[in-house]
Amino acid sequence: MFWWRRLLHLLPWVRRAADRDIDEELAALQDIAGKGALGNVTLAAEDARGVGRWLWLERLGQDLRYAGRSARHNKGFTALVVLTMALAIGANTAIFTFTDSVLLRPLPVHDPAALVVMKWQAKSYTLSRTISWSTGGSSQNDAGVLSSSFPYPAMRVFRESTDVLSAAFCYATVERLSFASRNDTESVKGHYVSGDYFAGMGIAPLEGRLLQPADDDVAPAAVVVLSEPFSRRRFGSPEAAVGQSVRIDNKPFEVVGVTPPEFFGAEPGSVPDLYLPLQARRIVEAPARLDAMFESDHYYWTDVMARLQPGVDRAQAERVLAERFHAYVAGTATTDAERADLPRLALESGRTGLDGLERKYAQPIYALTVMVGLILLIACANVANLLLARAVSRRKEIAIRLGIGAGRSRLIRQLLTESLLLSLAGGVLGLAIAWWGSHALADILASGRPHFTMHAELNWTVLGVAAALSMATGLLFGLVPALQATRVDIVPALKDARGGDNVIGRRLRVGPVLIALQVALSVPLIVAAGLFGRTLSNLNAIDVGFNRDNVLLFSVRPSVLGYTGPALGRLYEDLREQLTSLPGVQAVSLSSRPFPMGGGSSVAVEIEGPTPVTPPKDARGYGPSAVIASVGPDFFKTMAMPMSAGRDLTPGDSTSAPRVVVVNRHLAGLFGLENPVGRTLLFSNTRFEIVGLVDDAVAFSLTENRFPVMYLSYLQTIDRGQASAWSAPSRMTYEVRASGNPMLLAPAVRDLIRRADPNLALHDLTSQATHIDQAITREIALATLGTMLALLALVMSCIGLYGMVSFNVSRRRKDIGIRMALGAPAGRIVRSTAREVLAQVMVGLVAGLAISVFAVRSLDSLLYGIEPHDPMTIAAAAAALLTCGLVSTFIPARRAAHVDPVRAVAQD
Amino acid sequence: MQPLHGVLEMLVLRTLARQPLHGYGIAKAIHLASTESIGIEFGSLYPALKRLELKGWVASAWDTSDEGRRAKYYRLTATGRKKLNQEHAEWQEFASAVERIMGPVPEES
Repeated sequence: MFWWRRLLHLLPWVRRAADRDIDEELAALQDIAGKGALGNVTLAAEDARGVGRWLWLERLGQDLRYAGRSARHNKGFTALVVLTMALAIGANTAIFTFTDSVLLRPLPVHDPAALVVMKWQAKSYTLSRTISWSTGGSSQNDAGVLSSSFPYPAMRVFRESTDVLSAAFCYATVERLSFASRNDTESVKGHYVSGDYFAGMGIAPLEGRLLQPADDDVAPAAVVVLSEPFSRRRFGSPEAAVGQSVRIDNKPFEVVGVTPPEFFGAEPGSVPDLYLPLQARRIVEAPARLDAMFESDHYYWTDVMARLQPGVDRAQAERVLAERFHAYVAGTATTDAERADLPRLALESGRTGLDGLERKYAQPIYALTVMVGLILLIACANVANLLLARAVSRRKEIAIRLGIGAGRSRLIRQLLTESLLLSLAGGVLGLAIAWWGSHALADILASGRPHFTMHAELNWTVLGVAAALSMATGLLFGLVPALQATRVDIVPALKDARGGDNVIGRRLRVGPVLIALQVALSVPLIVAAGLFGRTLSNLNAIDVGFNRDNVLLFSVRPSVLGYTGPALGRLYEDLREQLTSLPGVQAVSLSSRPFPMGGGSSVAVEIEGPTPVTPPKDARGYGPSAVIASVGPDFFKTMAMPMSAGRDLTPGDSTSAPRVVVVNRHLAGLFGLENPVGRTLLFSNTRFEIVGLVDDAVAFSLTENRFPVMYLSYLQTIDRGQASAWSAPSRMTYEVRASGNPMLLAPAVRDLIRRADPNLALHDLTSQATHIDQAITREIALATLGTMLALLALVMSCIGLYGMVSFNVSRRRKDIGIRMALGAPAGRIVRSTAREVLAQVMVGLVAGLAISVFAVRSLDSLLYGIEPHDPMTIAAAAAALLTCGLVSTFIPARRAAHVDPVRAVAQD
Repeated sequence: MQPLHGVLEMLVLRTLARQPLHGYGIAKAIHLASTESIGIEFGSLYPALKRLELKGWVASAWDTSDEGRRAKYYRLTATGRKKLNQEHAEWQEFASAVERIMGPVPEES
């Protein structure tokens, strides 16, 4: 009410005029009433001035002006505090940005809270339930198997449940499709989506139209929807893309629309280039297999999302749907084992989309959050200590202000204003650091992965968190010093400067507590620094078992162009021979996947005849299993994998020749064979002659233990059709060993492929070294990040510890001076001072080690080749802190002991 | 006897409804009108007056008194009058309610 008058009063000249008016009025009234008749006029005037003003705002203004002045007068102090807070708040905000984009931010669709993701849980995989690994995926957990893949017929269960679901839609991802338009072919990532997908998500097209149920028919429409970035990259603009005729895996399609720029499908972190109708899989792939895919109750391959009916909650829908899904899977079970372990349906929130990225990053994010949280606490402890030290030097000023009648609460408010101003300044600078940091983070994590997008950007949530952090820390590190500083006995403080100091020191003994706290917080971070350092060096020292340098990798999928059987084999071999004759090429081979393979299959194997060791069989009577790798001629020469016996594979190892296999040492070792060359290996009821023995190399991933591996000649697998585990590779990766930088070969290779078949798309052209780095990008990036954060914490805690200890020692200079004057030897003084401080350091150290035992457990997911409770690392961390504590004690103690006693005692 | 907080403002409004007065004049008028049973501290009256002015229920202007002295005179505004009527009704209701509860002075037993 009449707030504008209040606002007017904020103007200094208006306020001064009003104050003058009150004084005049009261003087006039005093004349009329006579002296004393009005009582305490000064008080009345003071109360009246307060009417209609935002006094707190005026006082805040005063406090801010005062705080600004005092910040300007202590530039070094201000800079130190602001920088400390900026680093801590910046680190926290950057990590939060990451958390926000991966774990918290809802999908950019209509009412994301109503979305649910379907999952199922069972105790084990069963043989008749084939689960496609290429889609949303499955994982092993304590309760067995958790999966988000469903057979297509199960969609009927969800679509018909309109009582609880307003929509149910599904999709499947494909990593590589070849996309051709205007004589240019490239590799793209696509989603097959059901016709009701876009309607269910509730998004509108940016251009043209999105896919509709009519497109997703058993006779599907050959239409495609592009993502906004892809349409821009490929056609210049979204408008230009609509209506274009394109070829996807060499089949004609028409672009009918473009999705809005913020839409990235259902999974944060992966942006598909295009969306095809689910049933258009029948156009792109071999139709025979597809009928089975769409009709089989046993092939689990689509991810399912749904939208809840308004007013229905997730638990309610889960109860209803779980029952119907149970009835469905019970009808599909074929064996008693299956009937005993039917998948149970579970509904998870789909608000933030599918949780692929979450599964991958949730653990690391929690670990990093703990780390930056500790850093923030250390920063607060450091700054609190600095403020405490400053409060000591300001005790006279504060005593004077208390002496002339300033209220304690008013003083505390003013001191808090100062600390808040400092932390807010730190927060603003911290946001700049966070902005830079989150971009760097996204770049590191996305390095080399074309489809990985981390939507890490500053938004209002992030800004809010930064502001809240600044305010909270300002209060946290400001409150204790403010309470302490204003609890001064005025008279001694004014009479003798030391008096106030002693009072502060004695009352709460905050200093020593801070030292112990600082040490306790630092221990886990320094342990973490050690663990991350070791992890990084372990990751960089991984021996892949072959020479990763100077090898170019690329893949082709000639089967989409209709190559099959002998023609497919001829094309692969022709390309291999032509590549070998390129200048600068030393050797060329090919394999079904680049190494490490990232995935694949393994089968049970046997060796004919007696072997020195008979490997144990499992409960079902299977012997040891080996990983299958389908590779081409000269594979071991090209990869420079050392062979200890036998020969490399050759072009002669073809369908017409006897079946051969090269095994690795691990596999031979399982049977106790030194040299298995010449023996016969059996698997899938087929006999293979062992022609070579090769040293162990990575198979699936870099951070795995070594597997038994058998290398088959791809030429002997090419005619086997789809049925077997080692069937024809419809896609092969070429390995080209160059004499120098392999990437320089890229133009010549592209040219060669185009000449061989202009419709053949080149996928994943990269170098072997980059491919290996990419396989551990996440591990390296997170370990690097962890190391950086831990180093930041190490520096901050050492500086803080030094500051705290030396401040505590130097405050005793007067005591030391007196003892020196009474004849105590310098050495003894240094020792006794050091003993006291070290006792506090030790208390902190013990507490810190206890914290570490619990805290570092969260780091497990970020470590490689080292246990979180590595005793060496923990011992080294303790030693580092102890050294830091010793140095920061002895230097000021020695300085104090060598000072002239007279001056120390007389010192103000 | 000191009037309650909100009551003081009501009394000031009622007093100013008769005629514009300066600050001290208001205190005196209330004292007289209550047949000298209500004494008002100037220290409470003056800030209350400023509050009423801020709310816009009274307005003030410098003027010269009958004795030729300059002082700030307060008068009721239209909003103030409306407010006074409302308060008046509420007060009547409140006072009679209290009266019903309190009744005649109880006998000592």
